[in-house]
Amino acid sequence: MTTITATDRIPVRTRRRPGAGQDNLSALLTLARRRLALSASNPREIFVPLLTPLLFALVIAPALATLVRSAPGLDYRTYLAIGTAGLLVPLACMFAGLGVVVDRQSGARPELLTAPIPRGLIVFGNLLVAVLVSGLQLGALLLATYLRGAHFDATATGIGWFVAAAGCFAVAMYSIAEIMANRIPSQEEYVGAVPAVAIVPWFIAGSLFPISALPAGLTAIAKALPLTHVLALMRYGLLDRHGAGLRDIWGMTNTTVMAALSTAVVVAYAILFLGLALRVFRRTAVR
Amino acid sequence: MIEVTQLGKTYPGGVEAVKGVDFEVRAGEVFGLLGPNGAGKSTTIGMLTTTIEPTSGNARLAGFDVAKQPREARRVSSVVFQEPVVDRALTGRRNLILHARLWSVDPGAAARRIQNIVEVFGIGDVIDRPVASFSGGQVRRLEIARALISQPSVLFLDEPTVGLDTRIRYELLDLIDDLRDENDMTTLLTTHYLDEAERLCDRVAIISAGRIVALDSPRALLASLGREVIELRVQHDPQQVLGLLRSHRIAGDDTFAVGSTLTIPLRNGTAGEAMAQISELNVATTAISTRPPTLDDVYLRLTGDRLAA
Repeated sequence: MTTITATDRIPVRTRRRPGAGQDNLSALLTLARRRLALSASNPREIFVPLLTPLLFALVIAPALATLVRSAPGLDYRTYLAIGTAGLLVPLACMFAGLGVVVDRQSGARPELLTAPIPRGLIVFGNLLVAVLVSGLQLGALLLATYLRGAHFDATATGIGWFVAAAGCFAVAMYSIAEIMANRIPSQEEYVGAVPAVAIVPWFIAGSLFPISALPAGLTAIAKALPLTHVLALMRYGLLDRHGAGLRDIWGMTNTTVMAALSTAVVVAYAILFLGLALRVFRRTAVR
Repeated sequence: MIEVTQLGKTYPGGVEAVKGVDFEVRAGEVFGLLGPNGAGKSTTIGMLTTTIEPTSGNARLAGFDVAKQPREARRVSSVVFQEPVVDRALTGRRNLILHARLWSVDPGAAARRIQNIVEVFGIGDVIDRPVASFSGGQVRRLEIARALISQPSVLFLDEPTVGLDTRIRYELLDLIDDLRDENDMTTLLTTHYLDEAERLCDRVAIISAGRIVALDSPRALLASLGREVIELRVQHDPQQVLGLLRSHRIAGDDTFAVGSTLTIPLRNGTAGEAMAQISELNVATTAISTRPPTLDDVYLRLTGDRLAA
């Protein structure tokens, strides 16, 4: 005789479904499309971060270039154009983070949290759009500076260094924005914190002049900033094949090794901040 | 369909918001969770919708443990939140499509459901406009429509009519009432409006200070107060008046006071006899009336300034 004893309710589904990976990709794209639609519906989010860097690159940089005598073989206008990228990416990411504050305060975030998806995808969906928008803005900035007379010296490898640095930096900066958006209570306070995060490091990260021109204490701080490594990599990729910026950081002779080291630093920052962003999001999303 | 066993939540800092509640909601039932602010309603619904982690006990939605299988539990449920939760910059349709995609509804089926539901909910004319241009009632309708797109087994309505004007509120009640008649969906409703609970719910649980203090059908809860109550507004300390009424056996233990108003359920005798007795005691009153008991009386007796000994 066989006895069947029901000891507990058996859930209808307990195992991971075969199409779960595909479902997650589909959910990620849905969330990214949503964020893109929200950004597109608010053009300020896209154009305002672009205005200051564009003004700087197109008006101020050429004016400064007429006053400053560059190092031999170095076009200061182009040097500043790339330096401006170090302002654009943080501003673009910080503005993207503002959308997260709105989502949290008066948007659809609670609905997203009750969706049958891994909640980290909400962060990744926003991140994807922030990186994409930053990339487009960066492209627009470089095109505008090129049309204004900047001279880039780019190779495929150089573009690779540039894209890797810019991409990882955008990930790191958006992650910081996501952390702030989840921790800072109001939009006003968030906006108030943006200059400290997005603008102050720009002044000491080698945007306008080499970090070797800074006082020794500030040089040490500059070397620890991800932006310093990013700018050195961007210039190495698009402007200065000798890697003067990288040498100021590492003091080595092999530029490829220095570029790899700086890339590793930026990747490490991106991973660190992304991990923190996910952790902060989970802690604030679920009480 | 919803099974809640000794569910509890203590927040960091030691605030015990929910103290081991038990209830079960049957498939197709509309179940009301009533209670004053801070009673633990929102924490309970937060735990059931997996946005708050329980610290004790467990809960299951359609067999899925909300703590161990949160995604499966979310897949079979939808929520209409207390505050409007929509992307205002997007169109109504886009909000609905977003929900359908996140709940993995087949695109063709989603399009058909959206077409049907916007007509039923009377938002067909505005559905392609940004939600920012919707009225408060239209936003609420959109949110309920959105919750239904994924055809959930369990629907959570967290104070769905709060903040709406009376006309829109009654329109929404009709809508929710129709849902009850036309679907076999299980619904858990929290509300401050007792008339809503009385009209919509098969059973209600009254929650106070994190505990369920009553759970029954609205009819049975009303019956607990007898067939009639006397409402007495007094000029002086209501506690003294209550003591006086009790000593003369006019008021029982189930009499309660909120502010200066005493509500006296009638167990024995007629209202006329009781009012005559009160008059003989020369109690200083500003108003006295009789009426059938309401769910508000049950609610206030269990959660309000109860003066019963």
